[in-house]
Amino acid sequence: MSSLNPLKALPGTKLALMGNEAIARGAVEAGVYVVTGYPGTPSSEVIMTIQRYGGDLGIYVEWAVNERVAFEIALGAAISGARALATMKAPGLNVASDPVISAAYSGVDGGLVILVADDPGPHTTQTEQDDRWFAKLAKLPTISPSSPQEAKDYARVAFEISEELMLPVMLLTTTRVNHAVGEVILGEFKEPRRYKGFKRDPPRYVRAGMKWNLERHKWVDQQLSRVEEVTGKHGLNRVEGSGDLCIVTGGAAYNYVVEAVESLGLSGMTRILKLGLIHPLPARFILENIEGCRKILVVEELDPFIEEELAKMLYRAGLHIEILGKHAGWLPFEGELNPVIVREFIARATGVRETGGAEPVKPGVEIPERPPPLCPGCPHRFTFIALRSALLRNGFKPSDIPVFGDIGCYALSVNPPLNSIWTEHSMGASISMAMGLKIAGFEKPVVAVIGDSTFFHAGIPSLIEAVHKRVDMLVLILDNDIVAMTGHQSTPAWSRTETGRETRGISILELVKAIGVDNVAVVDPYNLKEAERIIGEYLVRKGVNVVIAKHPCALEERRTKHVEPYVVDAEKCTGCRACIASTGCPAIIMVEGKAYIIEEDCNGCGLCVRYCQYNAIVRRER
Amino acid sequence: MSNKVFNILIAGIGGQGGLTLSRILAEAAVKTGFSVKTGETLGMAQRYGSVVSFVRIGGNTYSPIFGSGEADVLLGLELTESVRNMRYLRHRGLIIVADEYRPPSMASITGRAPSRSVLLAELARYNAVVVPARKIAVEAGNPRALNMVLLGVLNAATNILPHHVVEDTIRSIIRGEAGEKSVRAYYEGHKWFKNHR
Repeated sequence: MSSLNPLKALPGTKLALMGNEAIARGAVEAGVYVVTGYPGTPSSEVIMTIQRYGGDLGIYVEWAVNERVAFEIALGAAISGARALATMKAPGLNVASDPVISAAYSGVDGGLVILVADDPGPHTTQTEQDDRWFAKLAKLPTISPSSPQEAKDYARVAFEISEELMLPVMLLTTTRVNHAVGEVILGEFKEPRRYKGFKRDPPRYVRAGMKWNLERHKWVDQQLSRVEEVTGKHGLNRVEGSGDLCIVTGGAAYNYVVEAVESLGLSGMTRILKLGLIHPLPARFILENIEGCRKILVVEELDPFIEEELAKMLYRAGLHIEILGKHAGWLPFEGELNPVIVREFIARATGVRETGGAEPVKPGVEIPERPPPLCPGCPHRFTFIALRSALLRNGFKPSDIPVFGDIGCYALSVNPPLNSIWTEHSMGASISMAMGLKIAGFEKPVVAVIGDSTFFHAGIPSLIEAVHKRVDMLVLILDNDIVAMTGHQSTPAWSRTETGRETRGISILELVKAIGVDNVAVVDPYNLKEAERIIGEYLVRKGVNVVIAKHPCALEERRTKHVEPYVVDAEKCTGCRACIASTGCPAIIMVEGKAYIIEEDCNGCGLCVRYCQYNAIVRRER
Repeated sequence: MSNKVFNILIAGIGGQGGLTLSRILAEAAVKTGFSVKTGETLGMAQRYGSVVSFVRIGGNTYSPIFGSGEADVLLGLELTESVRNMRYLRHRGLIIVADEYRPPSMASITGRAPSRSVLLAELARYNAVVVPARKIAVEAGNPRALNMVLLGVLNAATNILPHHVVEDTIRSIIRGEAGEKSVRAYYEGHKWFKNHR
């Protein structure tokens, strides 16, 4: 979305870049040759940027079926000397954890960087997982930038460190870096680093030898002990200011600290230790630079990771300096930090009076929440409505039949008026959790709903399990032919990849048949009657029955298809609200007691027309 | 503009172009020689949920976001979202808001959505500049250019960015015919403010 090509602009140019675009630039500057990952907010734009602007750079840049596969591809490239990048959001790292945790034991020859985007807030993620712990668990050197400029620079540095230490390096970010825009000064390019050579070396690459594993573990720990020394030349950690009030911080929190110290008038008496190296924490740097500190404030997001490590360091060094952070209740464990929280903390901890301005404006009107609904024309809305009628037609109340959801747009059906899914847990969990409920003794039918990309990602093993263990259930695969929620990325069903490579699309129908389900049908949910009939039939049949509800994402369809929007005839509308109450379509609003359709948002699906008894919703006259 | 930071909060609904607006502001500011930071909400909230963007121009800033009571301007793409986010406005800050009423659909079902006139009355207490942005955007050729109308009003009210820089930035981010309509919408917004104040 940047106006100048962020991957082609000349070294020295200053551009306004989003953190993720900056990471893309940094990786390309470093000579990355293999880039892969799975979409997940807030990480997706790194790959999207390279796909969009780097088409002719000769770099491999494609989405993978899931994060585990992505990481393994990157690892396979890096053990041959190529520079590789795998990107994912925090839960994606959990999916990839199996190969990631063994990766340090093999080590790499080409730089291997895993970008992991955590989400304090959380803005778009199921948990507020703090992946600094994961860095410890997986024994990965980990660096964490505070700004788009650092995001670019650290992406470059990560490849250097990885090669020098022969270990995969985690570039750990948070939403306020990935989705922040700031000025970035661009650097020079290196040639892409591709395959150099790969020699058979079982002790290094085969984890079936326990003696080898013990040896490799020792090697990993030895490499980790060198991280502070090896990274020293990259200036990841620095001290700003001097004084006996010390603040240790890193990541997005650093920005709030700098502004707070200045606005509280503490600049002359405060020493800020800004840490870019997060694992292992730079003990030597910290101990050298806390000499003379009266007390130490630790400002970090999520868990008290630095705080606890620091306490251990001080204990070992025999130092008694008071630490103020999360444990004493000064800063919250949950939610993201912001400039106000940090300013208030520092003011309280130092006894400085805040010279706050006037009270913020408090509106005199109560404003209701706006939970994100399914889009106008969304085919999932049709499927959930068909499911509801099918339940009713079979004599069930919707409150009797659990609908296990999965990760994707369709989870938004949890909100009224659809009130559909009962659970949303993790990628692929819908089918397996539905199975568990049946095994536990639930006797009525169960339903699992899963999207096409989520099915490819993690649903296939669950479906195999359900079929193999003979558990009765209805599985609805909501196939809109795209990874919709994260911004319309490609799926393995495409016959051309995101970058235009001719390829072989995988058919969900053939795949499901090959697994051996008892019944499978494909319906277009826009054909509501047919969808309702088949869903109703399959709901009560024995065995594992799959309905593939196939219709393109409405937002994608409108890019290629002419849309005829509907309008409300205000003369006929009685203001009964049936259109909104039945569909929850966000293109319909109530204005002065009458329904009104926002024309440019209407995707012309016509669902609302079915619920208007007064024939007040009509095609726009041209 | 002095060396002071200028904080803008853009409030709207996912899909209204708040993100594009913040990006154009950021790029135009950098081209003009200002330091810039923005903080965005992307992802789930993109889809008709509440969306805010923080834009910070000038000064020596680090944080991409700011707190309650720190916005110099609240730039509202929709009435409900503007009132929702009024807490960000600093004392005597400026409110520029599109006269665009799109209540949350859930609240429409239950009838709890504040009416347009209630929202306008609330905004009037703070001397909000209420812009007939949709009408101006439609005249410029595209109702989706409502965000560019507000950009025009913002720049007319504050004079932070030179016209030609804004115009170039719009064209380079929104390509083709949509870009031309956006530039038109920007100038119409600018003209509207000059004529009505």
